[in-house]
Amino acid sequence: MTIALDHIVPIPLKDRFSQRTSDVWNNTLALEQGAFIKIKAPSGTGKTTLVHILYKLRNDFEGAVQIDNTSLSAINDDQLAALRQQHISIIFQDLRLFPNLTARENIELKRVLQTPFYEAGVIDSMAEALGVSHVMEQKAGLCSYGEQQRIAIIRALIQPFSWLIMDEPFSHLDLVNTQKAAALIEAECRKRNAGFIITDLDEDTNFTYTKQYSL
Amino acid sequence: MHGLQALLKKLIRTGAGRSRFVLAIVGLSVAMLLILAAVQIQSNFNDLLHSKTNQDSVANFLVLNKILNDQNLGATALSEKDIEELKKQPFVESVGLLSPSRFKASIQSNSTRFPFYTDIAFEAVPNDFIDVTSKDWKWDETMPFVPVIVPNMFLDFYNFQFSFSQNLPQLTQGVVKMIVFKINLYGPNGVVNFNGHVVGFSDRISSLLVPQEFMNWGNSRFGKNQDTKPSRVIIRTKDPGNPKLTDYLRQHNLTTDADKTRFSRYRQVVDLVVTISGITGIILLAFALLIFSLFIQLTVASCKEEIVLLITLGASPAQLRAFLMRQFFPVNIIIILVSVCILSVLQYYLHYLLLEQHIYVSAYPSAGMVFCAIGVLALIWLMNRVFIRKYISPTAGK
Repeated sequence: MTIALDHIVPIPLKDRFSQRTSDVWNNTLALEQGAFIKIKAPSGTGKTTLVHILYKLRNDFEGAVQIDNTSLSAINDDQLAALRQQHISIIFQDLRLFPNLTARENIELKRVLQTPFYEAGVIDSMAEALGVSHVMEQKAGLCSYGEQQRIAIIRALIQPFSWLIMDEPFSHLDLVNTQKAAALIEAECRKRNAGFIITDLDEDTNFTYTKQYSL
Repeated sequence: MHGLQALLKKLIRTGAGRSRFVLAIVGLSVAMLLILAAVQIQSNFNDLLHSKTNQDSVANFLVLNKILNDQNLGATALSEKDIEELKKQPFVESVGLLSPSRFKASIQSNSTRFPFYTDIAFEAVPNDFIDVTSKDWKWDETMPFVPVIVPNMFLDFYNFQFSFSQNLPQLTQGVVKMIVFKINLYGPNGVVNFNGHVVGFSDRISSLLVPQEFMNWGNSRFGKNQDTKPSRVIIRTKDPGNPKLTDYLRQHNLTTDADKTRFSRYRQVVDLVVTISGITGIILLAFALLIFSLFIQLTVASCKEEIVLLITLGASPAQLRAFLMRQFFPVNIIIILVSVCILSVLQYYLHYLLLEQHIYVSAYPSAGMVFCAIGVLALIWLMNRVFIRKYISPTAGK
């Protein structure tokens, strides 16, 4: 599954981008499946905006996003749901867990939303790997932000996908936990022959990137 | 997918406004009972009306004539317009004219041992309207006998009243049929005699009937005036209890055997009960559906954040609609099943209750009632679907 960006410019940020160049905005980009893509940018340059455009959470932009030659703006609600269930998984910067569900239920929900990709037991092994086993039965709203971030990572990895989109996924993790999470993410991507797009503020060595872009 | 249902149930709480939902359930139950009862009462009454015991041949044939009063004495003839209009009425299947004899006639016994003599008048009616089948029912000038059909009540009157008072023997139908008597027709050129005999007994028309051919011949030969307008007609109708029929008769100043149309009065009462019950039921149903709609709207509104996040995470609108449908619809199935069960039990008791009074209604609910129940269920399903679609769609795509 390839993602092609064709001269994307978010309308609210239009004036700002007309004065400077960017690797992504108002450019042509083709992201091949399996590629590990890093998007590096300082705060306020539209990282989250880009993530939301790719995930079709916002439509206020010029240009076109093509997924396997189909324009993202042309697909309907049911096709979008199928895309999110089968092909594009996401870790939001603001995590977006259900605070009233337990950590396990948050992950389980994503597992059973479509035909499960993994058995339920995989949740435990992933939780073990990221060191959050002890909070699995706690309400997500009561977990620390770092714990919630790891739960959101597991939730994104429990479903089938061709692309994983991550918006500053390690912002609240210490170095050791970041490495553990990155290793799990990489392993899961390789297992599915999937690619990822990760946004972050700074340079890092968490992954061996295929390509790095600046916004 | 069972796990998904359980998780969705935790997220989309249908508990908000639970009391309103219970109210809607109660309202819908009452509505269903009223609507289905209306259908069942109607079908019970139709059963009574059209069952074999009621559908005797007498009831389906009505002899009509104008109500005789001081104003229309001697002017009771029905015009062609009256008859044409009658034919056009939906409740009239066919109309037959009764032609009266316009000549003086008498019958007398041939036997001295059993003498009788009486002046008499005949009537003729198209053969389709006669309830006696006899191979002898025909006449032409070469025939030795004139066949006559006698109303059953004439014979009853004779056997159970007249014979006692005159010390005469009682006669069976068979015996009467064997008696040959003399028919005298009085014309301008004197008396002409015929032999007559009874070929059958009718419950339908209360006059002495002769074949139409004989009547035409007699009227043309001996008739005193040529006014051929009939005063009485016989109609064939599917349902003499039809209130429209009695209304029509009343409006046109016509009358018939009131006993035959007695069902129309019951039917007006039943129609009223059915209408009131049905309309109340439908209004309640409408309100119940409205409350359901509000309840669905309330649920979706109170869980808007959860629904938006679910859709963001990839839940399809179809999955959410199916979930909501599963939350809201099954209770309707239960309501309708319970309503049908209650009415079935009542019908069963009604069957035995009425049986004691020799009135037969089915022990089981009518097919119409079951179809109605299925129909209303389909309507509720459709409305639920529309409401859910309406309230989920704006949330999707966000």
